[in-house]
Amino acid sequence: MTAQSEPQLSLAEAQAYLLERARTQGVTLEVYGERGTATSVKAYGGEVSEFKLSTRQGVGLRALVRGAWGYSFTENLSRPALDRALDSAVENAELVQPEPAAALHDWPPPPALDLYGEGLSGVTVEQKVQVALNLDRVAREADPRVVSVPYGGYQDGDLQRLVGNSAGLGREERQLYAMQYAYPLVSEAGQNKMQGDWQFTREFTELDPTRTALSAVEKAAALLGAKPAPSGTFPAVITGECLAQLLMLFSPMFSGKMVEEGKSPLAGRLGEQVASPLVTLVDDPTLPRGLNSRAFDAEGCPSVPLTLIAAGTLTAFLHNAATAARAGTGSTGHADRHGIQGTVGVGPSNLFMQAGQTDGPALAPGLTGLRLTDVSGGHAGANPITGDFSLEAQGFWLEEGEVAHPLEVFTVAGNILDLLAGIEAAGSEVHWTDYGAGAPDVRVNALAVGGA
Amino acid sequence: MLNETLAAEVLSLARTGGADFAELFAEDTVSTTLRLHQGEVKDAGGGNLFGAGLRLLYGTRVVYAYTNDVTPQGLRDLAGQVARARGGAGEVGREGTGGLDFRRLEARPLYVAREHPRQTGVREKLALMRRAHGGAAGAGFVKTVDVNYLDRMQRVLIANSEGVWAEDERVWTRMTVSAIAQDGTLRETGYYGPGAGQGLEFFETVPPEQIGAEAARIANAMLHAGYAPAGKLPVVIGNEFGGVIFHEACGHILETTAVEKSASVFADRMGERIAHESVTAIDDGTLPGSWGMVTVDDEGMPGERTVLIEQGVLKSFMVDRVGELKTGHKRTGSGRRQNYTYAPASRMRSTFIDNGRETPQSLISGVAHGIYARKMGGGSVTPGTGDYNFAVQEAYMIRNGEIAEPLRGASLVGNGAQDLLNIVGVAGDLSLGQGMCGSVSGSLPTDVGQPHILISEITVGGRA
Repeated sequence: MTAQSEPQLSLAEAQAYLLERARTQGVTLEVYGERGTATSVKAYGGEVSEFKLSTRQGVGLRALVRGAWGYSFTENLSRPALDRALDSAVENAELVQPEPAAALHDWPPPPALDLYGEGLSGVTVEQKVQVALNLDRVAREADPRVVSVPYGGYQDGDLQRLVGNSAGLGREERQLYAMQYAYPLVSEAGQNKMQGDWQFTREFTELDPTRTALSAVEKAAALLGAKPAPSGTFPAVITGECLAQLLMLFSPMFSGKMVEEGKSPLAGRLGEQVASPLVTLVDDPTLPRGLNSRAFDAEGCPSVPLTLIAAGTLTAFLHNAATAARAGTGSTGHADRHGIQGTVGVGPSNLFMQAGQTDGPALAPGLTGLRLTDVSGGHAGANPITGDFSLEAQGFWLEEGEVAHPLEVFTVAGNILDLLAGIEAAGSEVHWTDYGAGAPDVRVNALAVGGA
Repeated sequence: MLNETLAAEVLSLARTGGADFAELFAEDTVSTTLRLHQGEVKDAGGGNLFGAGLRLLYGTRVVYAYTNDVTPQGLRDLAGQVARARGGAGEVGREGTGGLDFRRLEARPLYVAREHPRQTGVREKLALMRRAHGGAAGAGFVKTVDVNYLDRMQRVLIANSEGVWAEDERVWTRMTVSAIAQDGTLRETGYYGPGAGQGLEFFETVPPEQIGAEAARIANAMLHAGYAPAGKLPVVIGNEFGGVIFHEACGHILETTAVEKSASVFADRMGERIAHESVTAIDDGTLPGSWGMVTVDDEGMPGERTVLIEQGVLKSFMVDRVGELKTGHKRTGSGRRQNYTYAPASRMRSTFIDNGRETPQSLISGVAHGIYARKMGGGSVTPGTGDYNFAVQEAYMIRNGEIAEPLRGASLVGNGAQDLLNIVGVAGDLSLGQGMCGSVSGSLPTDVGQPHILISEITVGGRA
């Protein structure tokens, strides 16, 4: 291991250095940079169990050589390391098949979004620690059935992103978040259940640890007294959080890249009715409180809301510049990149189904069946290429529209397009998940359940 | 080198807040990622991860900080930052720095890569990928083939205030193939992705054509399958990646990260019978050239072979430094982390159920009405409750002891503590499969494995 002996450039200096080098070498180059500082405090049993501070920065390069993209990245921002990264991006491009419509753009300016709020400079370490300790204490004291809070804490981050390219584009934004979460473990009569809640905000002062802790305990305790689920097909109410999770798992179906590679069951179906008329699906990167909000995408293209399904009709796919050009349309501003290490693909931001007209008990009058509140195992049990899913589930049994009892671990299975087509009623409030997808509660006519 | 004087100074600085222990972890990782879609090179990338993390322990409380400014001043600043986080001054007088007498850990590498990925050109890697593509393309109903290649070389240094000085180089190589079979509107996917802690010589033992052919075989086998039934049934689970069931159902809750928080149903059951007597389960970091190999763990301790369960009796947890402090169980060389951005935690290495006395045939022939889960997908577990799930990639009905029609869309769910007792038969054809395991200290290469096993009853999530 060698310590870096060369001086490290700042992100902006590194970008300027690379673009200048590219200009003199005649290379068409895009530089994507990220710098983040973050704090995380975990509490357990009344004490801070882990305190974490971080600073991380780096640049991802994309060079366009004879119509082909080559990538590289580096966290070492010394001039020799940046030179190596540039050489490597160019070498990689020479190996790659040229892509029609590969180009860099100098996009129009992005919308003005305030994703930074008041900032965190006035917040002390003690205040952050207090949030984590309060969450833990309130949750433990809320109910005698709480054994402990194995996963609870506070996190914040201050992220700077920039995109610049040799077509003249230069974009920069800064955003901040603070969040808290608590997952209490509750136990009664030999049954262990864990469930939690969280809060995400851009203003530290908006965090309310008491409320999050109490709500987490309420959610966990509600699962105690679970009975085995029956096997069969039943009508069901799916909560907004749960439907939002499913929508996120299947969001690759809307990717222009998946469409052009023959991996989306929605390919070739623009303009067709693909869901119930109650379904309007929107991706909006410009929501001030959205977890995945941003003023511009990974290519610097400005963010705008996009309707994917309008009253059941498929109206658009998500696109970056190249997939859009090949599909004969314009970029929707959905170029996606998993940090500096990722390649540029296509992905959603804040994906949500719009609220409907029906509310509360009116959603499922007299329904005997399932109230599905959570699914897990989606990374393997949900297949966006076919739309099929078979997932671990959590929920309650409903008798005549009323919750009868929680259910022991069971499964739900089906196809997402059948599910969306089968939506019979939609609630009047959108519920959001902790990864930025939202949906209202809905009722479906049939859901396959695997239980006892 | 990040020399001993600088390391000693940084560790001393970090402890000025009164920490009992300080540990420096520095990393230089170079990676290559390549993707073929329909035989054409679509993505070529990779790069350099470079950073350092400092961990302090105050009793059992952890303070962790990292940076990728790995200049001498950057490291001093980091040390000052962590010290001040606990009310320290972040500075020491000249006489207070250094003075650490490092003991170099001379762990012999368990395996040395012969065709090191750094010494092999991208064109040779692409040639291997084209062979994998050839193994899948055009097989039966296969219409779409994606091949991904990954190699990663991670060089690490771990130095701590107890005088440990350990360096290690880890090499990982992997190829994955996804095949989509299509017949009219019917569509199914198959996936296979072996890897190793080796260089490109790995592909001499596992030819790329075979990887492609296996992905294609699964996609074709499942294309015309009906949906799996739902409900509780006996299940025979295939070997190799089938071991993901033990990984999810039991492995995670035998890590001290879960045990120390009582978020494990096995926390107080050491020495007790927790599984059927046919079950012996092992977590092994010492398999040369394996995907889960640990010559030195990320806390500077050599990896070990840890018997977790012996003939049904709980024998050991997987223990890291903090786990030892909190539970009193001895460290097992299980402290692992994805990279410098994570503090280490107790994690699995190569985890498998050992060979038993049955044969796959004898297990299947004993089932009147059940499921043969030949190839598994991934899974996950909730540590607090032990409830787990995993997806079945390739499944068949078993009728009257015979393998019958193919089934698609099955998942298996259950509870680790209960289902371990339901493993009632273990065959003798142990083999390992490779996966990436995500947990508190990031995403890590781990092997799962087992021989064929029979579970008397498990909840199958189908829709027929």
